[in-house]
Amino acid sequence: MNKLSRSRSYYLIATFVLILFSAGSLFAQNFDFEKLEEKTQRFTVIVDLKIEMAFGVHTSEQTDRLLGTIVDENGLIIFDGTALLGDQSIPGLSGMSVKITPIRIDVTTMDGQEYQADYIGSDRFTKLGFARIRGEGKSFEFVEFQSENNIKPGDWLALYMLLPEFITPPLAADIGMVSTVITSPEHFPLTVGFNATQKAAVLFNEELKPIGILGALVDPGNATTDSNGMLESFGQFRMPLLGLLSVKRLQELIADPPKKGATDRAWLGISLQALTDELSDFWGLHVPGGIIVNDIVKGSPAEKAGLEVGDVIYAINGDTLEVNKDEKISLFQRVVVELGPGADLELSVLRPEGSSWKELSLSALLEAAPLAASDAPDYDIDGLEFKVRSLVFSDFMRLNQEPDNFTGVVVSEIKLGGPAEVGGLRIGDVIQKVGDTETRSLEDMIETMNRVELEKPSEVILFVWRQNKTMFINLKSAWN
Amino acid sequence: MIARFLFIFFLATTIQAVTPVDSTLQHQIYYARDRVMPALVHIQPVIKNYDTGELEKQAVIGSGVIFHKDGYVVTNYHVAGKAERIICTLNDREQVPATFVGGDPMTDVAVIKLDLSDYEPELHIADFGNSDSAQVGQYVLAMGSPLSLSRSVSAGVISTKDRYFGSEVRLPSGERTGRYNLWLQTDAAINPGNSGGPLVDLSGRVVGINSRATMFANNIGFAIPINIVRSVTSAILKDGEVVRSWIGLHCQALQELEGYFKAGRDNGVLIASIDPGSPADIAFLKAGDIILELDGEPVSARFVEEVPLFYSKIAKVTPGTEITLKVFRDGEEYPVKVVTRQLGDLQGEDFEAAKWGFTVKAITRQMQIDNSLDDTLGVLVTGVKRSGSAGGLDGLRRGDVISKINNVRVNGLSVFAALYAELSKDRRVMIQTNRNGAIRYMVLKIEEEEKVNE
Repeated sequence: MNKLSRSRSYYLIATFVLILFSAGSLFAQNFDFEKLEEKTQRFTVIVDLKIEMAFGVHTSEQTDRLLGTIVDENGLIIFDGTALLGDQSIPGLSGMSVKITPIRIDVTTMDGQEYQADYIGSDRFTKLGFARIRGEGKSFEFVEFQSENNIKPGDWLALYMLLPEFITPPLAADIGMVSTVITSPEHFPLTVGFNATQKAAVLFNEELKPIGILGALVDPGNATTDSNGMLESFGQFRMPLLGLLSVKRLQELIADPPKKGATDRAWLGISLQALTDELSDFWGLHVPGGIIVNDIVKGSPAEKAGLEVGDVIYAINGDTLEVNKDEKISLFQRVVVELGPGADLELSVLRPEGSSWKELSLSALLEAAPLAASDAPDYDIDGLEFKVRSLVFSDFMRLNQEPDNFTGVVVSEIKLGGPAEVGGLRIGDVIQKVGDTETRSLEDMIETMNRVELEKPSEVILFVWRQNKTMFINLKSAWN
Repeated sequence: MIARFLFIFFLATTIQAVTPVDSTLQHQIYYARDRVMPALVHIQPVIKNYDTGELEKQAVIGSGVIFHKDGYVVTNYHVAGKAERIICTLNDREQVPATFVGGDPMTDVAVIKLDLSDYEPELHIADFGNSDSAQVGQYVLAMGSPLSLSRSVSAGVISTKDRYFGSEVRLPSGERTGRYNLWLQTDAAINPGNSGGPLVDLSGRVVGINSRATMFANNIGFAIPINIVRSVTSAILKDGEVVRSWIGLHCQALQELEGYFKAGRDNGVLIASIDPGSPADIAFLKAGDIILELDGEPVSARFVEEVPLFYSKIAKVTPGTEITLKVFRDGEEYPVKVVTRQLGDLQGEDFEAAKWGFTVKAITRQMQIDNSLDDTLGVLVTGVKRSGSAGGLDGLRRGDVISKINNVRVNGLSVFAALYAELSKDRRVMIQTNRNGAIRYMVLKIEEEEKVNE
C-alpha cells in the first residue's frame, strides 16, 4: 500500500465515521410528529399584519404574514413583533421619529375561521407582539405552557413554522438542538437548527410539552437609546442567538401584555458613564466597575433617592456592577428597565468628598420611564395637513429646556404640498401659540384647533420654537 | 455644395457676432478693465485650521483689489481671516508678501497690507463706486482668480441688488455671516478663487466684493455691496475692527403677519425672537412686539429685505448707549429703553493642545447663545485628533465644553492654556466635560514622545 492510498483509506474511514455520527444524531430525536401537528393546529393561527410606517413627510404601508399562537381562551395571540418595534426617535434629527402603526390585523385559524384582531402592544425585550381576536365572547383553544427546568445541551426541540402563502398545507415541522445553556446575562437555553424567521413559534420537548417559544437573546450592547442614554429597545447580535424564551417570562407577559403608548419601562433618571479602569485608577477606587452619575433629572427617582452628580454606583441590590466599559452600561440599564416601575433599588454609592470617597447606601423607588417620542399621543390637524404630538422628556433634552418653563406641542408629521409645508412649518418645530392662544399641551392644541377648524380663518398664525429661536408662521388654508 | 453653404453660414454668424455689437459697450468694457485690472491681486494665504484636532496649515486661493495708496487690499474674511502668512501676485505678475490687518466675519470683509519694500513700480488703486445707485440689469465685470486662474475677467449684469440671507450662513471658520447686509447678485461667472475680487461697473468703479457662488447653479454669484465694504474697511483702518451694538433681537418681515398683529398698520419691525439674557430680554421686550421708532426715527421692515437695515441701525449705536424704542403691543404704544452692549467676537481664540491631541477655543457670548451654553466659562472642543491621546477616548467630542482639568475649574482659555503648560509633563490628566448639561469624566493618557534615532 503506498502512502497515497493509505491516506485515502483513512479519509474514507473518517467519512464513514462522520456519516455514522450524523446519522446517529439525526435519529437521536424522537418526536411523534403526527400527534404534535394535530396538537399545534388547535392554537396556531396565521396573522396578516398590515402596518403603516411614517417618517416625517413619508408614509408607506406593508403587509407581513406571520405565525401566531393563541395563548388564552379570550383569543389573546402572540407573534413576532419585531416589525412593530422599529419605532425610534432620531435625536440628531430634531425630534423626528419613525412611527409604526398596525392598521389592520387579520387572523386565520387552521380550520379556516377568519377573524379581525386588535393590536395591544409589543414587548421590547422578547420582541413579541400581542393582539386580541375579536371573538365576541367565543372561547378559544390555547396553548398552555409548561415549565421545564431541566433543559441541557443535546436536548431536542421541535416547532411548526409557517410556509409561504401558495403552499398547502401551511405548516411544517422543524427540529433543533439545545447547544448550551447561557447563564449570563440571563438564563437562556441556546439552540442550533432553527432560523430567525421561525421566531415566536412554540417549542416542544420530546414529551410534546410546550415549554416556551423560540426567541432571540437580546444584545444589551446593541441597544437603541434616546438622547439621554435611556434604553428604548434592545438590539440583536449580528448573528441572532436563538433559543428558548422561558415560560415564566411568557406567563408574565400573557397576564399583563405590554400596551402601545404606555410605558412598561422603569427609569432612574440619570445620565451615566461607565467607570473605566483608567478612571478608577486615577481616583484610586478599588471596585471592578460602576456607573458614574453624570446628570440627574429633576424630580426623578434618582433625585428623590439623594443621588448626586459625580456619584459612582458600584453595586445594585448587593450585586457588584462590573461595568468598566461604556459598552456594558446597558447591563445596568437592563436591570433597571426589567425591574419595572415600583421596584426598589438598593444603590451602593461612592461619593467624592474632597480628595477622598465616602461610601453610601441609598435606596431608590423606580418609576415609569417617560414616554418615548414615538409613543407620545398625537393629533392630526386635517385642515392644515400636519400632525402634532406632546412634548416628551427627550424633547427637553434635545432642546436644552426645563419642563418647568417650556411648553408647546411638537410638529411630528407634515403632508407634502399641504398648507403646513407651504407655510414653512418644519418637523420638530414646537408650536407654543396659535394666534393669541397658548398651546401648553396637546389638549390645548386640540381644543384650539377644533375652534379654528370651525372658524376657518384664511390665515392661521403659529408661534413656534425652532433651533433656539422663536418665529411666527403663517399658514393659509383653503379649508376644503 | 452643402459644405460651401455651411461655410458661408458659419462665416455669416461669425461676422454678425463681431461687427454689429454696440462698439461703445465694448469700449466701456475695455475702459473698466483698464481702470481696475492693474489693482487686481491674486492672494495665496496659508490659513490655520483647527478642525481635525491639531493645527493644520492649508494653502488657499483668493482674490483682492488694492484700494489705498499704502498698499491696502480688500478681500474676503474667509480668504485671509485665518491667514498665517500671505503671498500676493499683482497684476504685473510680481509677487509681494502681505500681512493681515483686520477683518469682519459678519460681512466677510478683510483688509491685508502689501509689503512694498521690494516693489518699485507705481501702485495702481481701484476706486470704489456707489452700490446704492447700482441698477438691476447694469453691466458688471467680475475680476479675480477663479479656480486659481489669475487675472480672469467675466461679464454679466447685476441680477438683483437686495438679496438677503439672514444670519443662517456660516463661514468655513464657523462664524455666522450676512446678518447686517444685503447682497448684489450677478450672473457674471463667480467660481471658487473669485472670493475677494472686485465686481466692477462700466465706469471702472468697484461696486461689490465677490464672495459667494451657488453650487449646482449657473451664474448665481453674490457680492458684498461696496458701500458696506467701504464702511468696514474704514473702521478696520481706523480702529482695527468693526464695533457693533447688540441688543439680542431677531426680526421677521411684517408683511405676512400684519393682518394678524395690527389691523390696518403696515409699518414697524416685528420681533420674532429674543436671545435669553440679552439687553432686549432685560428690557422685557418680547416676541410679537412691533418696533415703530428707534430714538424718535421711524423704522419699518415690512419685507425681509428691510430687516438688515434695522439691524445695522442698532449696530451703529455706540455700545453701552441707551436707546429708546417705541413699541406697539396689544394695541398700545410704549417707549422701551434698552442699553446696548457690544456684539463682541463671534468666535473665540483657537488653541492647540498638541500633546493632548485636541484643539479648543474660547467661548464668546455669541457662541454661548448660538450653542445654548449656560455661560462663557470653559473652553469648547473644536477638534479631536484621531491618533492623539484623546483620540482613543470614547468621551471627547467636538462641541464638548471642558469645564475642569484635574478638578481645577477651567475659567476661560487662559486658564486652560496655563493648565496645559503646567501639566505638560504629566502622563495622566483628568478632563471633565459638559455636553447637553451632563458632565463626563475622562482620563487622558499621554504617550511619551518618540525619541528620534540619531
